[in-house]
Amino acid sequence: MYENSPESRTQAQFRQQVRAWCEQHIPPDWRQSQTGVDDDEFVRFQKSWFAELHSAGYAVPHWPREWGGGLSVPEQIVLYQELAAHDAPRLVLAFVGIHHAAATLLAAGTDEQRRRHLPAILDGEIWVQGFSEPEAGSDLASLRTSARRAGDSYVVNGQKLWASGGKHADWCLLLARTDPDAPKRKGISYFLLDMTTPGVEVRPIRNAIGDSHFCEVFLNDVEIPAANLVGAENAGWQVAQATLGAERGLTMLELAERLGNAGFRWLVQAAPVDDPVVADRLAQFETEITGLRGLCRKVVEDSENRTVGPADASIVKLFYSELLQRLTDFGAEIGGMAAHTRLAKPMSSGWESGSWLLDFIGSWEWTIPGGSSEIQRTIIGERGLGLPREPSAV
Amino acid sequence: MILDLGDDAKEYGRQALRAFEAAGGDQLVQQAEAKPDLRESLAGPVLSELGAWDLDARTDVDGLEAAAALCRSAGYWALPYPVAERLAKPTDLDVDGLIVVADIRPSGVVAGLESTWAAVSLAGVRSRVAGYGAAGPGFVAEVELSAVDDNGAGDVALGLVLPCWTLLGMLDRALELTIAHVSLRKQFGQTLSAFQGVQFQLTDAEVERSGLEILAKYALWSIATDRPEATDDALALRMSAIEAAEVVFRVCHQLHGAVGFCDETTLSWLSRYSQPLRRLPLGLSATRDELTRRVGGTGLTGLFS
Repeated sequence: MYENSPESRTQAQFRQQVRAWCEQHIPPDWRQSQTGVDDDEFVRFQKSWFAELHSAGYAVPHWPREWGGGLSVPEQIVLYQELAAHDAPRLVLAFVGIHHAAATLLAAGTDEQRRRHLPAILDGEIWVQGFSEPEAGSDLASLRTSARRAGDSYVVNGQKLWASGGKHADWCLLLARTDPDAPKRKGISYFLLDMTTPGVEVRPIRNAIGDSHFCEVFLNDVEIPAANLVGAENAGWQVAQATLGAERGLTMLELAERLGNAGFRWLVQAAPVDDPVVADRLAQFETEITGLRGLCRKVVEDSENRTVGPADASIVKLFYSELLQRLTDFGAEIGGMAAHTRLAKPMSSGWESGSWLLDFIGSWEWTIPGGSSEIQRTIIGERGLGLPREPSAV
Repeated sequence: MILDLGDDAKEYGRQALRAFEAAGGDQLVQQAEAKPDLRESLAGPVLSELGAWDLDARTDVDGLEAAAALCRSAGYWALPYPVAERLAKPTDLDVDGLIVVADIRPSGVVAGLESTWAAVSLAGVRSRVAGYGAAGPGFVAEVELSAVDDNGAGDVALGLVLPCWTLLGMLDRALELTIAHVSLRKQFGQTLSAFQGVQFQLTDAEVERSGLEILAKYALWSIATDRPEATDDALALRMSAIEAAEVVFRVCHQLHGAVGFCDETTLSWLSRYSQPLRRLPLGLSATRDELTRRVGGTGLTGLFS
């Protein structure tokens, strides 16, 4: 169960196999060659790295075997550990497709929808999430984008926000209100939206670190075929739970492993380790990272065994996001002038690029999306500790 | 002992706030980021009209207080100009301003300006700035130094304290913006400000901000009264300022949500331009280290000795 417990023979063999693959296939210079590249090169590199992983069977290890995955959970853990240990580029662009879109299709999609999209995702189809709106952030269920049935289609109008990677996306996971009169969680439907449909307009938003990965999506009389409805009409909220659930577990394990490998390594490299104050902080971080990696692994294993607690995923997200903020802050602090003047990070890295100021500012967004820290604390309080619900609105 | 600014200084600070707003307010930093060479023409006229360069922060207590108030107002608008650094200029060198620099890779927020600068290290070694590196983010440039003397011990305190007042103004604004945001935005059928979890975060930030404010006044008083430990007090202020800025900006960003990271919000600009003030000349651990080295055995003198 733990890092130092002996692995089964199959796991150990698999680890050797992944190590050998990593040594041969991870471009050794990708951090240098991807630093500061433009969008086109970023997309090209992401697609080629995805294809490389896919050809080895490592791109979607968590998918069912019949769709191209099929690694056991212990093997998936080994895979992510080794990819992180060998500092592999991160699958930034494919993320929503291989996790959220796939989870949605596998949980609630029709056979036709699965056949149409799962192989396409393996061929490089890019997805974006169209959930949040200007007035519906943490309170997602209050979303207002409307979808009105008209014959064999729905006509959609509204605005989506924080659609990460929206400008590169081929398809969008869209939540829209199909019954304005129903209680707010009961009038929402879940759609697959082709981003080339007339009436879809994407506007990149420049953010505090100067990039524009999150976008606004404007939807103006956009027609979506009824065949692209996922699950029943007005049952979109339940479908969305499956999608949001995909952000936990293995994806967090991957991030924790990356933080424990490259992230911590950059920190140690940047640090004057003979300084006792610095050494003390590093030891604290190392301890916390070890705790985080253990927690992530436990959530993954407990999810597989169906023994995961109702607040465990929230604890992991809170732990990771707040640790990430403190760690990148410390990196910016000890990185000296270089950390402040070199404001170009290697594209395809995660939040552990070693460009500390960008990592630090970027880390702040972690306590906001996917359930803000306030939401996570509420979940831990109410579902984990059994405390009473917060008094409702007056 | 009165640890507050005089009424004249406070009124001057209010006038400065209005003048910076009239001169372009939040637009100024955005225009300067697009063209750093415009910094002088964007901020210079309004500062001259305010009589900023007539203030004597060195020998006149009223001038010192007015200078602090002006820096705070400049911070409030993230004015793209090193007001504090100009006001800290030494009287015995023919320069326009003073930056406190680290021993390694000395630098300051002096990119794109034509002023002449002196630099002082924490040990009191003074130099003239003889050359500038390329302009980096936040108007920071590395500087080449040409040594003058080691008589700068008296320059360090003022050079550290005034930029903390600029940062204080930024924290004032960040909190104001955030209170406005949570008072307006509704989620789950109520304004965010009605959630106790939101209120408590803001109160924690306000406690940090007020702690910084009183220390800023204390360190200023320490300079005004020529206390021998003024530099220690300045370092203690700086440490507190960095810590307070971390808490305040973290809370303000968290409560703004994703929109706080977009350049469409003032908070995004404010927090970006707070970075040089928080990192230069030294970050938190190096500042703490320096302070510990100086006062570790004896501690700070404090108000009541």
